[in-house]
Amino acid sequence: MLLGYTLVLELMLVAAILYWPNFRDHLGAVKLLSKPLPVLGDIISKVESIGVAAYVVGQHFFKGCNVLGAAAAALIGAAAVAGEAQRGTLEIWLARPVTRLRLASERFLSGQSVIWLGIFLTTLTIPLLLSQVDESMRLDRLLLCATHQCLFLGAIFSVTFLISCASSEPTRISMGVLFFTIFEFGIYLVKTVTHWSIYRLADIEVYHKVLVSGALDWSIAGPLLGVNVLGFWGGYAFLQRRCP
Amino acid sequence: MPSITNISSSGLSRSFGSTRALHPIDLDVQAGITGLLGPNGSGKSTFMRCLVGLVRPDSGTAVVAGVDLEGDGVAIRQRVTYAPGELALYGELRASEHLDFLLRGRNHQALDRSRELAKALGLPLHKKVRGYSHGMKRQLVFAAAMAPDVSVRILDEPTEGLDPTKRAQVLEMMADDAQDGRTILLSSHHLGEVDAVCENLAFLDGGRLVSVENAKQVAERTSRIVRLWWTAGVPADACQVLSAAGEERVRNLEDHLLVHLSSSDPRPFLKRLADAPLPAPSAVEHGRISLALLYREIYGVDGI
Repeated sequence: MLLGYTLVLELMLVAAILYWPNFRDHLGAVKLLSKPLPVLGDIISKVESIGVAAYVVGQHFFKGCNVLGAAAAALIGAAAVAGEAQRGTLEIWLARPVTRLRLASERFLSGQSVIWLGIFLTTLTIPLLLSQVDESMRLDRLLLCATHQCLFLGAIFSVTFLISCASSEPTRISMGVLFFTIFEFGIYLVKTVTHWSIYRLADIEVYHKVLVSGALDWSIAGPLLGVNVLGFWGGYAFLQRRCP
Repeated sequence: MPSITNISSSGLSRSFGSTRALHPIDLDVQAGITGLLGPNGSGKSTFMRCLVGLVRPDSGTAVVAGVDLEGDGVAIRQRVTYAPGELALYGELRASEHLDFLLRGRNHQALDRSRELAKALGLPLHKKVRGYSHGMKRQLVFAAAMAPDVSVRILDEPTEGLDPTKRAQVLEMMADDAQDGRTILLSSHHLGEVDAVCENLAFLDGGRLVSVENAKQVAERTSRIVRLWWTAGVPADACQVLSAAGEERVRNLEDHLLVHLSSSDPRPFLKRLADAPLPAPSAVEHGRISLALLYREIYGVDGI
């Protein structure tokens, strides 16, 4: 799972960065094309004014990680405990002399680590890829953006994990979360309802702030971290009462 | 040797929604093998799951292997082994890896012992579990449950799905294990095997503990029962005639007649039978009641 997810993210990143010179040269035409979609127009304007940094965070974090990472978070989170129930292995999983806190922690952290590792490993390659198109970005700032992205996707994973701890139907959970995230990504692109989308918490504007300030925006990262923690403890509370 | 209570449950009860799975259960289990019997849905598995902390009881307490049941029961599970009745394993793991998984939290000796037991049962440990038959999976779980050096083992239908040879081997392993002073609480639908290895029997029905008997009590109960067969079938008035002759309880079980005697000496009854205006039975059996019949006598249903 980790390998596939990381590989696809990296391939998307390589394609996006190698395409940058072409994209930059045709920004005017792209801007014209995006006129019917004001939100897309705003994104193009940001790329035009900020440059490669906005393009990279838009391609890698806002598009690649937000879409692919959300799918990974939904699939991994849904299978965490409900997957055991569905395949009938919940009882042997719980019956060993291991505390439920430890079982919950292991499942939670292993799921989070798949998401985090994929994002960090691919982010580490950005400076090298940018050097191929004669551009550069500070790695420390990029890693801060990656941390914010992980907190955002971690929050999606944590909520999915919580539901998984109380359910026996991983397919329904993952489909539900996937539908929700696609819906949220969809409404992000509609100007009048953009503010209702969770993707406002991980868009180009947020990442640009992180890149410029060199610090996480805790007004967003804090609540995301809170959702991560609450998701884990909520899931653990359900798991504690869970019968095989 | 004084008997040691290794499992003690006091008022243990559990409901699932509006269904009362367990009414308050008081049960003490001593060293040796105790059979937990009951029809499907009688609460056997729920009771066992409560004892190892997998299901939280609504009320009541339990002490297993000297440890109070509290929290998620991990303290108990460190001191006992449990083999679940519902069998689903990770097919993608090899059998040896599965033993590692099942014995996580145990020492290396337990792992080594489980491999020895699995080999003794003829299980190919290099093979992936998805290639195992139902019976082989059951034996793998059994090997894991029998390996750790603990004082109590709780085994939910450990012989279900096994062929007669393997069943005998598994029962022999349990008997040897109990010889070392361990306590084994065993649930089963195979009444014959329970008859063979259990020293004590606890009967559950509808979530209630309806009877607890030791081997002596079962022998006493069976010695008071006589069964009669007639070639032409049970005479229509046989119950009435024998009841009038003073027998405590007479039941027509269609293919034969079951008589509960007032004493364990059958001779006075046989004399009355000879004097009764009934055709001579083709077969008379005394003191050889099977557990299946004992089960039927208690629940009014056939054991499987």
